[in-house]
Amino acid sequence: DSHIQYERVGADVTMKCGSMDWDAAVTWTANGTDIDPSHLNGSYLILKNVDLTQSGQYSCYEGSSWRLKYQTYLRVGMPPKEPVLMCRSNNYPKGFYCSWHLPTPTYIPNFFNISVIHGTREMVCEKDAFPKNRCHIRYVQLFSTVKYKVTLTVTNALGKNSTTFTFDEFTIVKPDPPESVVAKPVPNNPRRLEVSWQNPSSWPDPESFPLKFFLRYRPLILDQWQHVELSDGTSHTITDAYAGKEYIIQVAAKDNDIGTWSDWSVAVHATPWTEEPKHLTTEAQITETTSASTSSFMPPPTTKICDKGAVVGSGAVAVCWTAGLVVAAYGVLFI
Amino acid sequence: MAAADGLPATLRRRDLCSRGIRLAGKMRSDVVDLLDTYVEWQGLDPSASVAAVEGVPVAAVEHWDEQTGTQRLLENLAAYRAFRALLTQMLEEQREQLDEADTALGRALAAVLLQVSAFAYHLEELLRLECRGPPSEEVAGPSPTAHLSLFERKLRGLGVLRELAQWAVRSARDLRQLAKPSPGSSLPPGPAESP
Repeated sequence: DSHIQYERVGADVTMKCGSMDWDAAVTWTANGTDIDPSHLNGSYLILKNVDLTQSGQYSCYEGSSWRLKYQTYLRVGMPPKEPVLMCRSNNYPKGFYCSWHLPTPTYIPNFFNISVIHGTREMVCEKDAFPKNRCHIRYVQLFSTVKYKVTLTVTNALGKNSTTFTFDEFTIVKPDPPESVVAKPVPNNPRRLEVSWQNPSSWPDPESFPLKFFLRYRPLILDQWQHVELSDGTSHTITDAYAGKEYIIQVAAKDNDIGTWSDWSVAVHATPWTEEPKHLTTEAQITETTSASTSSFMPPPTTKICDKGAVVGSGAVAVCWTAGLVVAAYGVLFI
Repeated sequence: MAAADGLPATLRRRDLCSRGIRLAGKMRSDVVDLLDTYVEWQGLDPSASVAAVEGVPVAAVEHWDEQTGTQRLLENLAAYRAFRALLTQMLEEQREQLDEADTALGRALAAVLLQVSAFAYHLEELLRLECRGPPSEEVAGPSPTAHLSLFERKLRGLGVLRELAQWAVRSARDLRQLAKPSPGSSLPPGPAESP
Protein backbone atom coordinates (compact mmCIF):
# COMPACT_ATOMS: atom_id res chain seq x y z
CA ASP A 1 0.00 0.00 0.00
CA SER A 2 1.09 3.49 -0.65
CA HIS A 3 0.51 6.60 1.43
CA ILE A 4 2.01 9.95 2.42
CA GLN A 5 4.10 10.35 5.52
CA TYR A 6 4.94 13.78 6.95
CA GLU A 7 8.00 14.23 9.11
CA ARG A 8 9.60 17.26 10.69
CA VAL A 9 13.03 18.47 9.57
CA GLY A 10 15.61 17.01 11.94
CA ALA A 11 13.46 14.10 13.05
CA ASP A 12 14.60 10.47 13.07
CA VAL A 13 12.31 8.35 10.87
CA THR A 14 11.80 4.60 11.02
CA MET A 15 9.94 2.91 8.15
CA LYS A 16 8.62 -0.58 8.42
CA CYS A 17 8.32 -2.73 5.34
CA GLY A 18 4.58 -3.23 5.65
CA SER A 19 3.79 -6.50 7.41
CA MET A 20 7.22 -8.04 6.78
CA ASP A 21 9.01 -9.45 9.83
CA TRP A 22 11.95 -7.55 11.24
CA ASP A 23 14.39 -10.20 10.10
CA ALA A 24 13.00 -10.50 6.54
CA ALA A 25 15.39 -9.83 3.68
CA VAL A 26 14.28 -6.64 1.94
CA THR A 27 15.58 -3.95 -0.32
CA TRP A 28 14.63 -0.30 0.09
CA THR A 29 14.74 2.27 -2.64
CA ALA A 30 14.42 6.03 -2.56
CA ASN A 31 13.02 7.50 -5.79
CA GLY A 32 14.02 4.27 -7.56
CA THR A 33 17.60 4.20 -6.26
CA ASP A 34 18.70 1.41 -3.93
CA ILE A 35 19.37 2.54 -0.38
CA ASP A 36 22.62 1.39 1.18
CA PRO A 37 21.98 -1.47 3.66
CA SER A 38 23.85 0.51 6.35
CA HIS A 39 20.62 2.49 6.76
CA LEU A 40 18.69 -0.67 7.63
CA ASN A 41 17.99 -2.18 11.01
CA GLY A 42 16.74 -5.60 10.01
CA SER A 43 13.98 -4.82 7.50
CA TYR A 44 13.37 -1.36 8.96
CA LEU A 45 14.69 1.67 7.18
CA ILE A 46 16.23 4.22 9.59
CA LEU A 47 16.66 7.81 8.45
CA LYS A 48 18.32 10.00 11.05
CA ASN A 49 17.99 13.77 11.24
CA VAL A 50 16.02 14.04 8.00
CA ASP A 51 16.31 17.09 5.80
CA LEU A 52 14.28 18.50 2.94
CA THR A 53 16.34 16.68 0.28
CA GLN A 54 15.16 13.37 1.66
CA SER A 55 11.57 13.94 0.61
CA GLY A 56 10.54 11.41 -2.00
CA GLN A 57 9.11 8.02 -2.70
CA TYR A 58 10.38 5.15 -0.55
CA SER A 59 9.68 1.56 -1.60
CA CYS A 60 10.38 -1.73 0.05
CA TYR A 61 10.81 -4.96 -1.94
CA GLU A 62 10.89 -8.51 -0.71
CA GLY A 63 14.46 -9.83 -0.99
CA SER A 64 14.17 -12.76 -3.36
CA SER A 65 10.99 -12.08 -5.30
CA TRP A 66 11.37 -8.30 -5.64
CA ARG A 67 7.72 -7.97 -4.92
CA LEU A 68 6.72 -4.51 -3.77
CA LYS A 69 5.68 -4.85 -0.14
CA TYR A 70 5.38 -1.27 0.96
CA GLN A 71 5.53 2.21 -0.52
CA THR A 72 5.28 5.62 1.05
CA TYR A 73 5.81 9.20 -0.02
CA LEU A 74 7.92 10.95 2.58
CA ARG A 75 7.33 14.69 2.86
CA VAL A 76 9.84 16.44 5.10
CA GLY A 77 8.66 19.80 6.32
CA MET A 78 7.95 22.03 9.30
CA PRO A 79 5.03 22.98 11.46
CA PRO A 80 3.71 26.46 10.67
CA LYS A 81 5.09 29.53 12.39
CA GLU A 82 2.70 32.26 13.49
CA PRO A 83 1.09 33.57 10.29
CA VAL A 84 1.19 37.22 9.27
CA LEU A 85 -2.31 38.66 8.92
CA MET A 86 -3.44 42.03 7.64
CA CYS A 87 -6.88 43.51 7.01
CA ARG A 88 -7.68 46.57 5.00
CA SER A 89 -10.61 48.44 3.55
CA ASN A 90 -9.78 49.93 0.18
CA ASN A 91 -13.43 50.14 -0.83
CA TYR A 92 -15.03 51.75 2.23
CA PRO A 93 -17.88 51.65 3.09
CA LYS A 94 -18.54 48.44 1.15
CA GLY A 95 -16.32 46.10 3.12
CA PHE A 96 -12.80 45.00 3.87
CA TYR A 97 -10.44 42.16 3.05
CA CYS A 98 -7.93 40.18 5.04
CA SER A 99 -4.85 38.57 3.60
CA TRP A 100 -2.18 36.42 5.13
CA HIS A 101 1.03 34.55 4.57
CA LEU A 102 3.51 32.45 6.47
CA PRO A 103 6.80 34.11 7.41
CA THR A 104 8.74 30.97 6.45
CA PRO A 105 7.72 28.08 4.18
CA THR A 106 6.71 24.73 5.66
CA TYR A 107 7.35 22.74 2.46
CA ILE A 108 4.18 20.74 3.03
CA PRO A 109 0.52 21.61 2.41
CA ASN A 110 -1.10 24.09 4.80
CA PHE A 111 -4.74 24.78 5.50
CA PHE A 112 -6.03 28.16 6.62
CA ASN A 113 -9.16 28.92 8.55
CA ILE A 114 -10.28 32.46 9.29
CA SER A 115 -12.93 33.67 11.69
CA VAL A 116 -14.26 37.21 11.98
CA ILE A 117 -16.21 38.32 15.00
CA HIS A 118 -17.86 41.68 15.48
CA GLY A 119 -19.29 41.95 18.97
CA THR A 120 -21.38 38.84 19.30
CA ARG A 121 -21.83 38.37 15.59
CA GLU A 122 -19.73 35.89 13.64
CA MET A 123 -19.23 37.05 10.07
CA VAL A 124 -18.37 35.01 7.02
CA CYS A 125 -15.18 35.96 5.22
CA GLU A 126 -15.59 34.81 1.65
CA LYS A 127 -12.44 33.40 0.15
CA ASP A 128 -11.19 35.10 -2.98
CA ALA A 129 -10.51 32.92 -6.01
CA PHE A 130 -7.29 34.86 -6.48
CA PRO A 131 -5.13 35.39 -4.61
CA LYS A 132 -5.84 32.30 -2.56
CA ASN A 133 -4.63 33.73 0.71
CA ARG A 134 -7.30 36.39 0.89
CA CYS A 135 -10.94 36.73 1.83
CA HIS A 136 -13.39 39.61 1.94
CA ILE A 137 -16.28 40.73 4.12
CA ARG A 138 -19.13 43.10 3.49
CA TYR A 139 -19.81 45.59 6.25
CA VAL A 140 -23.15 44.94 7.88
CA GLN A 141 -22.88 47.92 10.22
CA LEU A 142 -21.14 51.22 9.74
CA PHE A 143 -19.84 53.71 12.32
CA SER A 144 -19.54 51.06 15.01
CA THR A 145 -17.24 51.47 18.03
CA VAL A 146 -17.22 47.71 18.52
CA LYS A 147 -13.96 46.23 17.38
CA TYR A 148 -13.56 43.47 14.82
CA LYS A 149 -11.60 40.41 15.87
CA VAL A 150 -10.07 38.31 13.11
CA THR A 151 -8.43 35.03 13.98
CA LEU A 152 -6.43 33.09 11.43
CA THR A 153 -5.45 29.48 12.13
CA VAL A 154 -3.01 27.60 9.94
CA THR A 155 -2.73 23.85 10.20
CA ASN A 156 -0.56 21.24 8.56
CA ALA A 157 0.30 17.62 9.26
CA LEU A 158 3.05 18.67 11.66
CA GLY A 159 1.32 21.31 13.74
CA LYS A 160 -0.83 24.36 14.07
CA ASN A 161 -0.48 28.05 14.74
CA SER A 162 -2.70 31.08 14.82
CA THR A 163 -2.79 34.83 15.11
CA THR A 164 -5.47 37.37 16.00
CA PHE A 165 -5.89 40.91 14.74
CA THR A 166 -8.31 43.25 16.48
CA PHE A 167 -9.18 46.59 14.95
CA ASP A 168 -11.68 49.42 14.68
CA GLU A 169 -13.72 49.95 11.54
CA PHE A 170 -11.99 53.26 10.80
CA THR A 171 -8.37 52.31 11.34
CA ILE A 172 -8.07 49.84 8.49
CA VAL A 173 -9.44 52.19 5.84
CA LYS A 174 -6.68 52.74 3.29
CA PRO A 175 -7.57 53.58 -0.31
CA ASP A 176 -5.64 52.34 -3.31
CA PRO A 177 -3.32 54.95 -4.86
CA PRO A 178 -4.75 57.53 -7.25
CA GLU A 179 -4.86 56.44 -10.90
CA SER A 180 -4.05 57.97 -14.24
CA VAL A 181 -1.64 60.53 -12.86
CA VAL A 182 -0.64 62.92 -15.64
CA ALA A 183 1.82 65.79 -15.44
CA LYS A 184 2.16 68.30 -18.26
CA PRO A 185 4.13 71.48 -18.82
CA VAL A 186 2.16 74.71 -19.00
CA PRO A 187 2.84 76.58 -22.25
CA ASN A 188 4.76 79.82 -21.78
CA ASN A 189 5.28 79.09 -18.09
CA PRO A 190 8.77 77.85 -17.38
CA ARG A 191 8.13 77.17 -13.69
CA ARG A 192 4.79 75.41 -13.83
CA LEU A 193 3.63 71.86 -14.17
CA GLU A 194 -0.01 70.86 -14.31
CA VAL A 195 -0.77 67.61 -12.52
CA SER A 196 -4.05 65.73 -12.67
CA TRP A 197 -5.21 62.34 -11.46
CA GLN A 198 -8.28 60.25 -10.80
CA ASN A 199 -9.79 58.66 -7.72
CA PRO A 200 -8.82 54.99 -7.41
CA SER A 201 -11.42 52.94 -9.26
CA SER A 202 -11.82 50.66 -6.23
CA TRP A 203 -13.19 53.55 -4.12
CA PRO A 204 -16.92 53.11 -4.61
CA ASP A 205 -18.48 56.44 -3.65
CA PRO A 206 -16.13 59.42 -3.73
CA GLU A 207 -19.07 61.82 -3.56
CA SER A 208 -20.25 60.68 -0.14
CA PHE A 209 -16.82 59.54 1.00
CA PRO A 210 -14.52 62.10 -0.56
CA LEU A 211 -10.80 61.59 -0.67
CA LYS A 212 -8.10 64.10 0.03
CA PHE A 213 -4.72 63.94 -1.66
CA PHE A 214 -1.06 64.40 -0.98
CA LEU A 215 1.18 65.33 -3.84
CA ARG A 216 4.95 65.10 -3.73
CA TYR A 217 7.40 66.26 -6.37
CA ARG A 218 11.11 66.87 -6.81
CA PRO A 219 13.54 67.45 -9.64
CA LEU A 220 15.41 64.26 -10.54
CA ILE A 221 18.67 65.91 -9.60
CA LEU A 222 17.61 66.49 -5.98
CA ASP A 223 16.65 64.08 -3.21
CA GLN A 224 14.31 66.28 -1.22
CA TRP A 225 10.59 66.16 -1.95
CA GLN A 226 8.18 69.05 -1.86
CA HIS A 227 4.75 68.19 -0.46
CA VAL A 228 1.30 69.62 -0.98
CA GLU A 229 -1.87 68.44 0.73
CA LEU A 230 -5.07 69.01 -1.23
CA SER A 231 -8.46 68.71 0.41
CA ASP A 232 -10.48 68.61 -2.79
CA GLY A 233 -10.16 68.36 -6.52
CA THR A 234 -8.07 66.01 -8.58
CA SER A 235 -5.61 68.45 -10.06
CA HIS A 236 -2.93 70.85 -8.96
CA THR A 237 -0.54 73.25 -10.61
CA ILE A 238 3.01 73.27 -9.35
CA THR A 239 4.24 76.85 -9.61
CA ASP A 240 7.75 76.66 -8.21
CA ALA A 241 9.41 74.14 -10.50
CA TYR A 242 13.00 74.77 -11.53
CA ALA A 243 13.06 75.83 -15.15
CA GLY A 244 14.18 73.17 -17.56
CA LYS A 245 14.56 70.43 -14.96
CA GLU A 246 12.86 67.08 -15.22
CA TYR A 247 10.55 66.35 -12.30
CA ILE A 248 9.23 63.20 -10.72
CA ILE A 249 5.72 63.44 -9.27
CA GLN A 250 3.54 61.12 -7.18
CA VAL A 251 0.15 61.35 -5.50
CA ALA A 252 -1.40 59.55 -2.50
CA ALA A 253 -5.00 59.47 -1.28
CA LYS A 254 -6.81 59.23 2.04
CA ASP A 255 -10.43 59.33 3.12
CA ASN A 256 -11.22 62.86 4.22
CA ASP A 257 -12.07 61.82 7.77
CA ILE A 258 -10.72 58.38 8.66
CA GLY A 259 -8.02 55.81 8.04
CA THR A 260 -4.54 56.12 6.59
CA TRP A 261 -2.85 57.32 3.44
CA SER A 262 -2.64 55.10 0.41
CA ASP A 263 0.67 54.02 -1.04
CA TRP A 264 2.16 56.47 -3.52
CA SER A 265 0.90 56.34 -7.07
CA VAL A 266 3.03 55.28 -10.00
CA ALA A 267 5.57 58.06 -10.55
CA VAL A 268 5.25 60.35 -13.57
CA HIS A 269 7.92 62.54 -15.07
CA ALA A 270 7.57 65.96 -16.64
CA THR A 271 9.71 68.94 -17.51
CA PRO A 272 8.38 72.51 -17.42
CA TRP A 273 7.93 74.38 -20.68
CA THR A 274 11.01 76.04 -22.05
CA GLU A 275 11.20 78.68 -24.77
CA GLU A 276 12.44 77.33 -28.09
CA PRO A 277 15.42 79.19 -29.56
CA LYS A 278 14.29 81.68 -32.29
CA HIS A 279 15.44 80.87 -35.88
CA LEU A 280 17.73 83.51 -37.50
CA THR A 281 17.35 84.03 -41.32
CA THR A 282 20.82 83.65 -42.92
CA GLU A 283 22.12 85.08 -46.26
CA ALA A 284 22.20 81.57 -47.67
CA GLN A 285 18.52 81.11 -46.95
CA ILE A 286 17.66 84.41 -48.72
CA THR A 287 19.81 83.44 -51.80
CA GLU A 288 18.20 80.02 -52.02
CA THR A 289 14.75 81.50 -51.80
CA THR A 290 15.22 84.13 -54.52
CA SER A 291 16.92 81.79 -57.09
CA ALA A 292 14.03 79.36 -56.76
CA SER A 293 11.68 82.18 -57.65
CA THR A 294 13.21 83.05 -61.13
CA SER A 295 11.14 80.71 -63.30
CA SER A 296 7.72 81.46 -61.88
CA PHE A 297 7.87 84.23 -59.44
CA MET A 298 5.90 83.96 -56.27
CA PRO A 299 6.57 86.09 -53.27
CA PRO A 300 8.12 83.74 -50.76
CA PRO A 301 6.16 83.11 -47.58
CA THR A 302 7.32 85.42 -44.81
CA THR A 303 5.84 83.30 -41.95
CA LYS A 304 8.60 84.02 -39.47
CA ILE A 305 8.23 87.73 -39.76
CA CYS A 306 4.49 87.71 -40.19
CA ASP A 307 3.62 84.87 -37.82
CA LYS A 308 -0.09 85.15 -37.05
CA GLY A 309 0.56 84.53 -33.40
CA ALA A 310 2.92 87.42 -33.19
CA VAL A 311 0.86 89.78 -35.28
CA VAL A 312 -1.21 92.22 -33.38
CA GLY A 313 -2.99 95.10 -34.99
CA SER A 314 -2.58 96.84 -38.39
CA GLY A 315 0.96 98.01 -37.70
CA ALA A 316 2.25 94.49 -37.92
CA VAL A 317 0.23 93.86 -41.08
CA ALA A 318 2.03 96.83 -42.71
CA VAL A 319 5.36 95.21 -41.77
CA CYS A 320 4.29 92.02 -43.54
CA TRP A 321 3.44 93.85 -46.75
CA THR A 322 6.69 95.77 -46.67
CA ALA A 323 8.74 92.60 -46.25
CA GLY A 324 6.89 91.00 -49.14
CA LEU A 325 7.65 93.96 -51.44
CA VAL A 326 11.34 93.91 -50.57
CA VAL A 327 11.66 90.25 -51.43
CA ALA A 328 9.61 90.72 -54.60
CA ALA A 329 12.06 93.43 -55.64
CA TYR A 330 14.95 91.01 -55.19
CA GLY A 331 13.10 88.50 -57.35
CA VAL A 332 12.66 91.02 -60.18
CA LEU A 333 16.41 91.84 -60.15
CA PHE A 334 17.33 88.23 -60.81
CA ILE A 335 14.84 87.40 -63.58
CA MET B 1 -40.49 77.62 -2.62
CA ALA B 2 -38.16 80.04 -0.91
CA ALA B 3 -36.86 79.51 2.59
CA ALA B 4 -37.15 82.11 5.32
CA ASP B 5 -34.06 84.04 4.18
CA GLY B 6 -35.33 84.27 0.58
CA LEU B 7 -32.97 81.64 -0.84
CA PRO B 8 -34.54 78.83 -2.84
CA ALA B 9 -35.04 75.79 -0.62
CA THR B 10 -32.62 73.59 -2.55
CA LEU B 11 -29.85 76.16 -2.32
CA ARG B 12 -30.55 76.73 1.35
CA ARG B 13 -30.43 72.98 1.95
CA ARG B 14 -27.15 72.66 0.10
CA ASP B 15 -25.74 75.58 2.05
CA LEU B 16 -26.86 74.13 5.39
CA CYS B 17 -25.43 70.72 4.44
CA SER B 18 -22.06 72.25 3.48
CA ARG B 19 -21.86 74.22 6.69
CA GLY B 20 -23.00 71.20 8.67
CA ILE B 21 -20.29 69.05 7.11
CA ARG B 22 -17.66 71.58 8.10
CA LEU B 23 -19.10 71.83 11.60
CA ALA B 24 -19.12 68.04 11.94
CA GLY B 25 -15.51 67.88 10.78
CA LYS B 26 -14.39 70.48 13.31
CA MET B 27 -16.45 68.81 16.02
CA ARG B 28 -14.84 65.46 15.33
CA SER B 29 -11.36 66.92 15.45
CA ASP B 30 -12.14 68.60 18.79
CA VAL B 31 -13.74 65.46 20.21
CA VAL B 32 -10.66 63.41 19.29
CA ASP B 33 -8.49 65.98 21.13
CA LEU B 34 -10.95 65.97 24.02
CA LEU B 35 -10.68 62.18 24.22
CA ASP B 36 -6.91 62.47 24.67
CA THR B 37 -7.37 65.11 27.36
CA TYR B 38 -10.11 63.12 29.08
CA VAL B 39 -8.12 59.90 29.18
CA GLU B 40 -5.15 61.74 30.62
CA TRP B 41 -7.13 63.65 33.24
CA GLN B 42 -9.10 60.64 34.33
CA GLY B 43 -6.06 58.34 34.45
CA LEU B 44 -7.61 55.86 32.04
CA ASP B 45 -6.02 53.42 29.61
CA PRO B 46 -6.76 54.81 26.12
CA SER B 47 -7.35 51.30 24.79
CA ALA B 48 -9.80 50.37 27.57
CA SER B 49 -12.91 48.61 26.30
CA VAL B 50 -16.15 50.18 27.31
CA ALA B 51 -19.39 48.24 27.13
CA ALA B 52 -22.41 49.92 25.60
CA VAL B 53 -23.48 52.70 27.93
CA GLU B 54 -27.14 53.13 28.74
CA GLY B 55 -28.61 56.26 27.30
CA VAL B 56 -25.76 56.95 24.90
CA PRO B 57 -26.95 57.05 21.29
CA VAL B 58 -25.09 54.45 19.25
CA ALA B 59 -23.77 55.62 15.90
CA ALA B 60 -23.58 52.10 14.46
CA VAL B 61 -26.26 51.53 11.86
CA GLU B 62 -27.17 48.80 9.39
CA HIS B 63 -28.25 49.53 5.83
CA TRP B 64 -26.93 53.07 6.21
CA ASP B 65 -26.98 53.64 2.47
CA GLU B 66 -30.71 52.86 2.33
CA GLN B 67 -31.78 55.51 4.83
CA THR B 68 -33.92 58.39 3.65
CA GLY B 69 -32.89 61.98 4.21
CA THR B 70 -35.54 62.44 6.90
CA GLN B 71 -34.40 59.34 8.78
CA ARG B 72 -30.85 60.63 8.73
CA LEU B 73 -31.85 64.02 10.09
CA LEU B 74 -34.14 62.64 12.79
CA GLU B 75 -31.58 60.10 14.02
CA ASN B 76 -28.85 62.72 14.05
CA LEU B 77 -31.00 65.22 15.89
CA ALA B 78 -32.04 62.69 18.54
CA ALA B 79 -28.39 61.77 19.02
CA TYR B 80 -27.05 65.31 19.39
CA ARG B 81 -29.85 66.30 21.76
CA ALA B 82 -28.87 63.30 23.88
CA PHE B 83 -25.19 64.24 23.70
CA ARG B 84 -26.01 67.77 24.72
CA ALA B 85 -27.57 66.46 27.93
CA LEU B 86 -24.82 63.88 28.50
CA LEU B 87 -22.01 66.40 28.08
CA THR B 88 -23.78 68.82 30.41
CA GLN B 89 -23.97 66.03 32.96
CA MET B 90 -20.28 65.19 32.46
CA LEU B 91 -19.31 68.82 32.89
CA GLU B 92 -21.19 69.07 36.18
CA GLU B 93 -19.68 65.82 37.43
CA GLN B 94 -16.22 66.92 36.46
CA ARG B 95 -16.66 70.21 38.33
CA GLU B 96 -17.95 68.39 41.42
CA GLN B 97 -15.18 65.81 41.23
CA LEU B 98 -12.40 68.36 41.02
CA ASP B 99 -14.21 71.01 43.04
CA GLU B 100 -13.07 73.46 40.47
CA ALA B 101 -14.99 75.35 37.84
CA ASP B 102 -12.19 76.01 35.42
CA THR B 103 -9.88 73.24 34.26
CA ALA B 104 -8.46 72.38 30.87
CA LEU B 105 -10.79 69.39 30.73
CA GLY B 106 -13.74 71.54 31.74
CA ARG B 107 -12.98 74.09 29.06
CA ALA B 108 -12.57 71.39 26.43
CA LEU B 109 -15.85 69.76 27.47
CA ALA B 110 -17.63 73.10 27.36
CA ALA B 111 -16.27 73.86 23.90
CA VAL B 112 -17.48 70.55 22.52
CA LEU B 113 -20.84 71.00 24.25
CA LEU B 114 -21.22 74.31 22.45
CA GLN B 115 -20.50 72.66 19.11
CA VAL B 116 -22.93 69.86 19.83
CA SER B 117 -25.64 72.40 20.65
CA ALA B 118 -24.87 74.34 17.48
CA PHE B 119 -25.01 71.19 15.41
CA ALA B 120 -28.34 70.18 16.94
CA TYR B 121 -29.71 73.60 16.02
CA HIS B 122 -28.33 73.17 12.50
CA LEU B 123 -30.17 69.88 12.18
CA GLU B 124 -33.37 71.51 13.38
CA GLU B 125 -32.99 74.09 10.60
CA LEU B 126 -32.59 71.34 8.03
CA LEU B 127 -35.69 69.60 9.30
CA ARG B 128 -37.66 72.84 9.16
CA LEU B 129 -36.60 73.16 5.55
CA GLU B 130 -38.23 69.82 4.91
CA CYS B 131 -41.46 71.38 6.19
CA ARG B 132 -41.52 68.63 8.75
CA GLY B 133 -40.18 70.62 11.64
CA PRO B 134 -38.03 69.11 14.35
CA PRO B 135 -39.75 66.87 16.87
CA SER B 136 -40.16 68.34 20.33
CA GLU B 137 -37.42 67.50 22.73
CA GLU B 138 -38.02 64.69 25.21
CA VAL B 139 -38.33 65.83 28.83
CA ALA B 140 -36.37 62.96 30.39
CA GLY B 141 -32.66 63.71 30.69
CA PRO B 142 -29.76 61.30 30.75
CA SER B 143 -29.69 58.40 33.22
CA PRO B 144 -28.63 59.43 36.68
CA THR B 145 -25.11 58.42 37.66
CA ALA B 146 -25.19 58.93 41.41
CA HIS B 147 -25.23 55.18 41.98
CA LEU B 148 -22.09 54.67 39.88
CA SER B 149 -18.64 54.59 41.39
CA LEU B 150 -16.15 57.25 40.35
CA PHE B 151 -14.37 54.77 38.09
CA GLU B 152 -17.62 53.70 36.47
CA ARG B 153 -18.49 57.33 35.79
CA LYS B 154 -15.10 57.89 34.21
CA LEU B 155 -15.59 54.87 31.95
CA ARG B 156 -19.06 56.05 31.09
CA GLY B 157 -17.64 59.41 30.08
CA LEU B 158 -15.12 57.63 27.86
CA GLY B 159 -17.97 55.74 26.20
CA VAL B 160 -19.89 58.98 25.63
CA LEU B 161 -16.96 60.70 23.95
CA ARG B 162 -16.06 57.71 21.80
CA GLU B 163 -19.60 57.41 20.55
CA LEU B 164 -19.74 61.15 19.90
CA ALA B 165 -16.59 60.88 17.78
CA GLN B 166 -18.28 58.17 15.68
CA TRP B 167 -21.40 60.29 15.34
CA ALA B 168 -19.38 63.24 14.08
CA VAL B 169 -18.02 61.07 11.27
CA ARG B 170 -21.43 59.61 10.52
CA SER B 171 -23.07 63.04 10.49
CA ALA B 172 -20.66 64.36 7.87
CA ARG B 173 -21.47 61.34 5.70
CA ASP B 174 -25.21 61.74 6.32
CA LEU B 175 -25.10 65.38 5.29
CA ARG B 176 -23.15 64.55 2.14
CA GLN B 177 -25.84 62.02 1.24
CA LEU B 178 -28.46 64.65 1.94
CA ALA B 179 -26.68 67.22 -0.21
CA LYS B 180 -26.72 64.88 -3.20
CA PRO B 181 -29.54 65.39 -5.65
CA SER B 182 -30.54 61.85 -4.81
CA PRO B 183 -33.43 59.53 -5.54
CA GLY B 184 -32.88 58.05 -2.06
CA SER B 185 -33.88 61.24 -0.25
CA SER B 186 -37.33 61.40 1.25
CA LEU B 187 -37.51 65.06 0.26
CA PRO B 188 -40.05 65.58 -2.48
CA PRO B 189 -38.66 66.85 -5.77
CA GLY B 190 -38.18 70.58 -5.27
CA PRO B 191 -40.48 72.97 -7.07
CA ALA B 192 -38.88 75.18 -9.70
CA GLU B 193 -36.57 77.64 -8.03
CA SER B 194 -38.00 81.08 -7.66
CA PRO B 195 -36.32 83.75 -9.76
